[in-house]
Amino acid sequence: MTTNRISHKWGMVVDVDRCTGCQSCVVACQAENNIPINTEDVFRQRRAIQWIHVERYWEGEFPDVRARFIPVFCQHCENAPCEPVCPVYATYHNNQGMNVQVYNRCVGTRYCANNCTYNVRFFNYWEPVWPESLRNQLNPDVSMRSRGIMEKCSFNVQRLQKAQRVVEGQQGERLTDEKLKEGNYLPACVQACPTNALVFGDFLDPDSQVSHLKEEHLDGHGRGYKMLEHVGTEPNVIYLKKVDIHAKEVVKGHA
Amino acid sequence: MIRIAALIALLGGLAAGGLVTTIVLIFVLRAWWSTPFEVLGFGGPPEQPIPFPHGVHAGVGDLLDEDGNVVTYADGQPKTALGLDCTYCHRNVDKGASASVPPVEQCIFCHKAVQEGEDNPLPGLANLISAWENKEPVVWERVHRLPDSVRFVHEAHIRYFTQPGNLLPSGEQATVAANTCSTCHGDVAAMAEVKQVRSLKMGDCLDCHRDYSAPTDCTTCHY
Repeated sequence: MTTNRISHKWGMVVDVDRCTGCQSCVVACQAENNIPINTEDVFRQRRAIQWIHVERYWEGEFPDVRARFIPVFCQHCENAPCEPVCPVYATYHNNQGMNVQVYNRCVGTRYCANNCTYNVRFFNYWEPVWPESLRNQLNPDVSMRSRGIMEKCSFNVQRLQKAQRVVEGQQGERLTDEKLKEGNYLPACVQACPTNALVFGDFLDPDSQVSHLKEEHLDGHGRGYKMLEHVGTEPNVIYLKKVDIHAKEVVKGHA
Repeated sequence: MIRIAALIALLGGLAAGGLVTTIVLIFVLRAWWSTPFEVLGFGGPPEQPIPFPHGVHAGVGDLLDEDGNVVTYADGQPKTALGLDCTYCHRNVDKGASASVPPVEQCIFCHKAVQEGEDNPLPGLANLISAWENKEPVVWERVHRLPDSVRFVHEAHIRYFTQPGNLLPSGEQATVAANTCSTCHGDVAAMAEVKQVRSLKMGDCLDCHRDYSAPTDCTTCHY
């Protein structure tokens, strides 16, 4: 019996140099994944749910001030700190290289969020509510997370499942490793990014765009780095650092 | 003597209490692991706003009444079931996630012509006509309901079983989509009122997924 019939290693390459901080990925993610509306009050309490958020850093003094942006979302770590602390096995690594959150198993201990290096796990402190006018825009392919459930970026696994079904339907037989390629499946944030700062794909596929970028920038002497790499979480997301024409000094180490 | 009587009464009470507890426990455990017993409104078919006879529409051969006699028209001609394919009404079943209950309009396609006659009583057709005229949906009671956390896709299952070489659990080869339905839904055409026949709990799903080496990763169904 082969239940582990597909093995992928889905991941993302984020070119920080291309990111303009426009927040389309954030909006696309909120819409695709039925994320509750974050009000000002929620932000003040630091309980806002944003599976992907664009961190903004200011550099320099007025008037010579520059904004730096970096999109941060679940890094789908190979050695994820959130996984071993879950007492009910609600978060685990599946055979596609994804860090999966199983909502119906979660009991809301919040250990995972506390142990997460990147602060990308979000707890539903309240029952999510939408105004009546927005009820019909909710995505029927994604579960509603009720109060007391942890949630995080899933790399839009609902789209992966759909892509698998579509490819299987086209091929007329069961899926094998080779048949599902990066073009079959894209998360909403990648689709929405106007500057193609986000690139999604399969790191195990040597022809994929992310593999080429990894080869060029991470294994070689490019701009690639992994966020908080020294912690040892082995993320599946590679960042390409900003090309700064104004840089006065060479920064050693990570971006 | 009084002591002995009291002792017997005590033991009898304990036995009766134990019996009741055991019965309740069996009922609860059976409902938990499988389908509940059909008592006190549990487990049985829900009452529908229109007594829709699946047997007449989807069944094959002559129609039989409760005593097993062939139902006839006034001129002695036997009434035969229509033998419609499941997908004739549940049109989305081999295309998407949900099987889809047909809209009123679809019933009216046929029932504009098929009217109630003297020898052809159609109980509930008046409700359908009034729903059509008032432009209201028929509020069917849902029979099979999975928890919100489960994503079941009819299309994927039907596609798999209609492919040559993939035999149904019954050992048959499905050639059209409608051959696969009874695997989970039972022989709906033989039911006077449709009810759930399989537990459709996660263990039920997983048993079958393991038998067919289908994926058993959590994200297959839960996302």
